[in-house]
Amino acid sequence: MAARIRLLELQLLVLPALLGIVGLLTVYLSGTGTTRWTWADIWVSLAFMGLVLGTSVWLSLIGFSGDQVLFPLVAMLSGLGLLLSQRLQPVLRDDPGWATLAQRQLIYLALSFGLLWGTLTFIGLGLILVTMIFGIEIQGARLWLDLGVVTVQPGELVKVLLVIFLAAYLDDYRDLIATGYRLGPLTLPPLPYLLPMLIMWGMSILVVVLQRDLGNALLLFGIFLAMLYIATGRVAYVLAGLLTFALAVYVALHLFSHVGVRIQVWLNPWSDPLQAGFQPIQADYAFAHGHIFGTGLGFGYPEFIPVVASDYAFAAIGEELGLLGTVAVLGLYLLLVTRGMLIALQARDSFVRLLAAGLTVVLGLQTLIILAGNVRLLPLTGITLPFISAGGSSLLTNFLIVGLLLKASESVGERR
Amino acid sequence: MSWFIRTAALVAATAIVAYGVATTEDRTDPRWLALLLMLALLWGIALWPSLGRQVRTMDRTMVHVVAAFGVGFLLVGAQLVRVQALDRERIQSRIYSTGTEVVADPRRQALEEESQRGRILASDGTVIAETQMGDDGRPRRVYPFGPAAYLAGYYSPALYGATNLELSYDAALSGRSEARRLREWVDGILNRPTPGYDIVLTIDPELQSQADRLLGGRPGGIVVLDAHTGAVLAMASAPTFDPNQLSVGTTASEEELTAARTYWESLQQSNDGRLVLRPTQGRYPPGSTFKTITLAGALESGLATLDKVYRDEGALTVDSRVIIEQNRPDPNRVSYTLEEGYGYSLNVVFAQLGLELGASRLTEAAQRFGFGEPIPFDLPVAPSALSVSPEHLTSPAGLAETSFGQGQLLVTPLQMALVTAAVVNDGQIAVPRLVDRIQTPAGEVVDQRQPETWRRAMSADTAAQIERAMRWSVEQGYASGAQIPGAIVGGKTGTAEVGDRPPHAWFIGFAGREEPQYVVAVVVENAGSGSEVALPIGKALLEAALQR
Repeated sequence: MAARIRLLELQLLVLPALLGIVGLLTVYLSGTGTTRWTWADIWVSLAFMGLVLGTSVWLSLIGFSGDQVLFPLVAMLSGLGLLLSQRLQPVLRDDPGWATLAQRQLIYLALSFGLLWGTLTFIGLGLILVTMIFGIEIQGARLWLDLGVVTVQPGELVKVLLVIFLAAYLDDYRDLIATGYRLGPLTLPPLPYLLPMLIMWGMSILVVVLQRDLGNALLLFGIFLAMLYIATGRVAYVLAGLLTFALAVYVALHLFSHVGVRIQVWLNPWSDPLQAGFQPIQADYAFAHGHIFGTGLGFGYPEFIPVVASDYAFAAIGEELGLLGTVAVLGLYLLLVTRGMLIALQARDSFVRLLAAGLTVVLGLQTLIILAGNVRLLPLTGITLPFISAGGSSLLTNFLIVGLLLKASESVGERR
Repeated sequence: MSWFIRTAALVAATAIVAYGVATTEDRTDPRWLALLLMLALLWGIALWPSLGRQVRTMDRTMVHVVAAFGVGFLLVGAQLVRVQALDRERIQSRIYSTGTEVVADPRRQALEEESQRGRILASDGTVIAETQMGDDGRPRRVYPFGPAAYLAGYYSPALYGATNLELSYDAALSGRSEARRLREWVDGILNRPTPGYDIVLTIDPELQSQADRLLGGRPGGIVVLDAHTGAVLAMASAPTFDPNQLSVGTTASEEELTAARTYWESLQQSNDGRLVLRPTQGRYPPGSTFKTITLAGALESGLATLDKVYRDEGALTVDSRVIIEQNRPDPNRVSYTLEEGYGYSLNVVFAQLGLELGASRLTEAAQRFGFGEPIPFDLPVAPSALSVSPEHLTSPAGLAETSFGQGQLLVTPLQMALVTAAVVNDGQIAVPRLVDRIQTPAGEVVDQRQPETWRRAMSADTAAQIERAMRWSVEQGYASGAQIPGAIVGGKTGTAEVGDRPPHAWFIGFAGREEPQYVVAVVVENAGSGSEVALPIGKALLEAALQR
């Protein structure tokens, strides 16, 4: 592999670097009134920039020919997340002793970059390997499902595993599922082949019921429906799926009071302003305080939202960067989704196409669900905001997804 | 899809957004959510990628998924625009309070602690309210000038919110001003705390102290005004409360909170209306001071002149009701001019005048003075009323007793002060002003309030006639105790009967050197006759005002 300079990527990386420096300086300016800084303050940012630049240079050195826009997008978003943790660190006093909020975020980021390198290096043939492992068709499915039912709690990684399984499964049975059986003028869905899918659906409902986790259920079921639609192009499946899901949520609403409370607090947080409604009210105050331009990083009061670092990171952005900031972040995520889908479109192998599309859906759907929860378009759920929210396991998983997407884009580059 | 359908969908979507924003208040109002669903469909139609049949299934579906994500993100954007731009003031002002627990935007308090809340000052700079830093480094709102403390109200963000000027001028006191948006914005960027603005009142602290002293804790209210500018020079109320004991900030200790709650409960239990602003919210029967308005109605309609003679034989029977006259200066004299009837406060004369005038013209006269309307003022006001039930005036007996100030009349001291002000201000009423200007802590004036006319109550000619009658009342009538050597003084006393309890004592009056300038309205509840109790207070205040 000959080294080739990834010029576009390097040019685009100027933006996250600028964001890191300027953002950090504003945070200090707000705290002390001067732009004086010490190495102790800034080494976290420099280390992050080193990681980003190092990764890009390394990609150039190994002659990696994949997508050059995806990585700067991810660097921008995770840089924003790091900046947010640097900004929140002094006010949250959330220090377990061994590292501050920003230092922990940096450690998670370093691990994530490690995972990214690992993914790119070792899954050279990895995608085929994965196909082989999960290509044990039905057996594989059962294995996974058994695993799923036993553990019940779908961790972050389950999303990726689900996509890999679905991609492999749909790749094999795509035509059968799309056409179905013809019975005179009627076309029946190919039930035996849809059965694993129905089990999937049932599990999503189980997640709602057992875990009180509407967000993850919505996410898993959304991934499933989106991939089914991508593979088959049948709108009827999507509609039927949505309808039954809505029905199940409706039933859950009446059977389980906790789900009802969530919905009620979503529709009117002032119905319980001291308990369940407290957070959404505080988030509303934060968004409203931001107005168009925001207060500027460090000048707002995001610490008034109790779980700002994980659930309400977007509200903190809304307060300090304003409507311009939140819309810009929306734009970044939309670009990420578009770029991911472009990679899927350009891939040659149909399994890789389905895989890339599914992974893109994971990123996009997570973002959409948590953002919609933050702005009260949907009830709030415990899903994290990809790349921005503080937290280790979600960061690792999302970087794994980026690694897989980058890898998938490489096959495109070679074909060209 | 053709460009026509796309454009139509976009136009329809825009119309839906406009309609939704205009008709719904909250982002999760079910109607708004339903509109969002329609919006999603319309945006979907407008943005749906048109791909030819030859495009492979998976290519097409992937593009569709991206388009669906686009619509989803647009919906998030729509909610963002609402919360951050369109609904923000509504969201920020929303407060929940149970009396012990409050949910409100903590930013307001935080911003206030960073910036100093502005002071409330009397006209000469005497501090009525200010924020002081305690020894423990926590800010405390204090009210050092007792006689005017109740005008400031209390500022108690931790428990009871704010009242009076602390409430009505909250924006300026906490450093928000429409005129200085840019300055505040720059301050925000540079993290300079924007200090709150100072409010300078028209209150003369010496007059205010004297008014408070003269009232001496007896329940009642006093208003002293400059008739030409509407400036309130003194406004006393008793009994009242001590805002120092209610003002607890969010950083207050548990003891301070408990003390404030205890004081608040004692205020509630005392049940003597300590939180009521008697000069502007206390509604009393006005007694004979109301004859001024009956007289204005009669003169204005051309029904009578001051020289017209009326008979007063000591009693008058209206329907089955007998009005006994106790005010005649000479029991043997039976004919009086209207001017004498006013100066001797003859109920029988004014009962006849009222019956001649009729209910509709009397009502019109009172309305022209502002009855039935809230007076535009910096503090909460209660509107004055001619009668509690509208039918009261339709009976001749009710009309007759209303005409001399009894019946169901309910009038605030501020309203009576404005009636008097109209008399000496050529029939026009100036808007009463308590706040003279808003300035920066350094004294730079941000907003200087100018005198304004509220309404014309009567013609200049009528006003001149009533001024003559009021002066006659002081020079030769029952208000003679109000004479001040070397000054023009006019006035009218009132003794308002209230059932079994002693009557309310009233006095309204004006005084000036070359021409009348200051007006006063005094009411002391259940204290006796107007000329013995209220008149001396009014006279002393007019005398003090003349020496300003």
